[in-house]
Amino acid sequence: MKQTRFTPILSFTALLFASSVAFAGEIKIGFHAPLTGFAAADGKSAVHGAELAVEQINKRGGINGNTLKLVIYDDQASPKNSEPIANKLISKDGVKIAISGSYSGATRAAAGVFQKAKIPYISAYAVHPSITRAGNYVFRTSFVGEVQGRAGAKLVGDVLKKKRVVLITLKNDFGRSLVRGFKEKAASFGINIVSEYEYSIKDRQFGPIIAKVKADKPEAIYATGYFFTAGPLVRQIRAAGLKSVIIGQEGYDSQKFIEIAGKAAEGVIITTSLDRDSKRDVTRNFINAFEKKAGYKSDMVAASTHTAIYVAAAALKKAGGMDPAAIRKGISQTSVVASTGTISFNALGEVQKDVLTQIVRDGNWHYHARISDKALLAPPNE
Amino acid sequence: MTEISLLVQGLLDGSLYALISVGLTLVYGLLRILHVAHAGFFTLGGYLCVVVTNATGSFPLAILVAIVASGLLGMVIYRLVYHPILRHPPFVALIASIGLFIAMEESFRIIFGEQGVAYIAPPLQITLQMGELFLPISKIIAFVAATTLIGGLGLLAAKTRTGIAWRATVTEPEMASSFGINIINVRYLNFFIGSALAAVAGIIFSLTTNLVEPTSGDVWSYKALAIIVLGGLGSMKGTLIACFALGIIEAYCTTNIIGQIMNRDAIAFAFLIVVLMIRPQGLFTKR
Repeated sequence: MKQTRFTPILSFTALLFASSVAFAGEIKIGFHAPLTGFAAADGKSAVHGAELAVEQINKRGGINGNTLKLVIYDDQASPKNSEPIANKLISKDGVKIAISGSYSGATRAAAGVFQKAKIPYISAYAVHPSITRAGNYVFRTSFVGEVQGRAGAKLVGDVLKKKRVVLITLKNDFGRSLVRGFKEKAASFGINIVSEYEYSIKDRQFGPIIAKVKADKPEAIYATGYFFTAGPLVRQIRAAGLKSVIIGQEGYDSQKFIEIAGKAAEGVIITTSLDRDSKRDVTRNFINAFEKKAGYKSDMVAASTHTAIYVAAAALKKAGGMDPAAIRKGISQTSVVASTGTISFNALGEVQKDVLTQIVRDGNWHYHARISDKALLAPPNE
Repeated sequence: MTEISLLVQGLLDGSLYALISVGLTLVYGLLRILHVAHAGFFTLGGYLCVVVTNATGSFPLAILVAIVASGLLGMVIYRLVYHPILRHPPFVALIASIGLFIAMEESFRIIFGEQGVAYIAPPLQITLQMGELFLPISKIIAFVAATTLIGGLGLLAAKTRTGIAWRATVTEPEMASSFGINIINVRYLNFFIGSALAAVAGIIFSLTTNLVEPTSGDVWSYKALAIIVLGGLGSMKGTLIACFALGIIEAYCTTNIIGQIMNRDAIAFAFLIVVLMIRPQGLFTKR
């Protein structure tokens, strides 16, 4: 009797020791993404992409003999959640590097906290320009919204030679910063913006807007949005008999978009950073490994968090320890070939890389064109 | 021409509002509960229709399953959630309803996944063309379904014994009870019909968007509340007029300067505020 009561305590103590031994060689990476709420689908891809990178790195022996471990929190894509999460990651979990797998609003709020605590922070795919302006500890591995918007203008006016354009703009940080970039360069590519309509992130029914767009008779529609707004939008545009070319951005970049829009998705062209027909091994490997792990086809969000983890890993390796200042320096000097391109940062912590355009053909994303105009794609520097 | 298509769009959207708001009005009229979770049945109807269609290939079967299951769950919710707390002040039921709505959304996410569901081969995707006007058949069905179902409901209430019992329970519950009407059965019927109508709205929504997400009901939950307040809480006629008025106002306002300033959903509330300033009792008040 005495022994049976004692055994669990003994084994528990043993377990405690065993686990503390296991933790000794672990490097924690803070991570927040929307796991519930309206953006949960992107949050799931974000986590899968990050986990895949961590598994791959650990399999190859980790970082300087230590394994990586993600500390994941759900921010519901909301700034009011991401700020306390950032504080928790720093003070409770004691992370020395963190990554945002979330949207602009949530990332902007957390960036300030990480900068204040001088903990390096990487935004994987949030586009708002103010994120990196939080300070020198904040980096971004994807395009600023404006840069991608400028690439969109080149795609429409120069590559496709469509001049009469209507904008359907998603009213949030993402949509607005894209459209700012598009408008900035529209005139230089001879684009005439006939009209602009705005919609909120909760809208899924676009009947009235589409009725107006039809009357505008555009050659192209530059519609900002995420796959869950763009899928219904594109479907309804085609159902209304509108044949104009539809141009999207990386928010569309998911197999789910094609699933929702169905045949209407055919011919839709987007600006993004993941090339489905890439010949590069890193990207090919990522696309295959992701589908195997997640059970669905890869998307831009997953590729972006995957890339961000690789950047963090390279910096940790270079730093050789857990000093945040050394890790920050490691990120700023990094040059990593990852699934979304070659990543290196300018003085503001922004990345410069080519914009890829992808087109939907036969129910899949395919290579369309590459925009590599350095001056056009120059990210802000200060 | 654009003006006419906007008007038609407004009427079509209005009929979807009508389908979801009628159930809410019924519940409020009978129990004085603001049933926020009502929009959860809208989402449930959409989910069941997509999932059953994809699994069996039969759209009619899916409609049947979605409507009946939503109606039955509505009755269960009444029995388990509202019935035990009816004797407490109304805010207790309101809080329970909000909690229930959140629980429903998270259950959808756990059961059906984060990404939302879409038809593999969406049914009824034909678009009728009349000159410049393109009318998706799914929206026309929404309009026809809303008018016939709500009209039928009106007939039921006016002409049948069940309808009389129902109206009696709404106006004088104690008197009705003393005349031998089983009030509890009336409440069950009420929740069944209301939830089933919300499911019909969800089915139609799934046809136009081809996407049902855990949070699909969000906008509808508070917009339907705005509509029934606008219509004069508990008034069926007022609710219907408010639905179509809002559909048309949204159609015009989202595409002009007002739409640049505020969201489509904010327009509903701006309209509500304007009406309540002029008529604090809503468009129509119940006797």
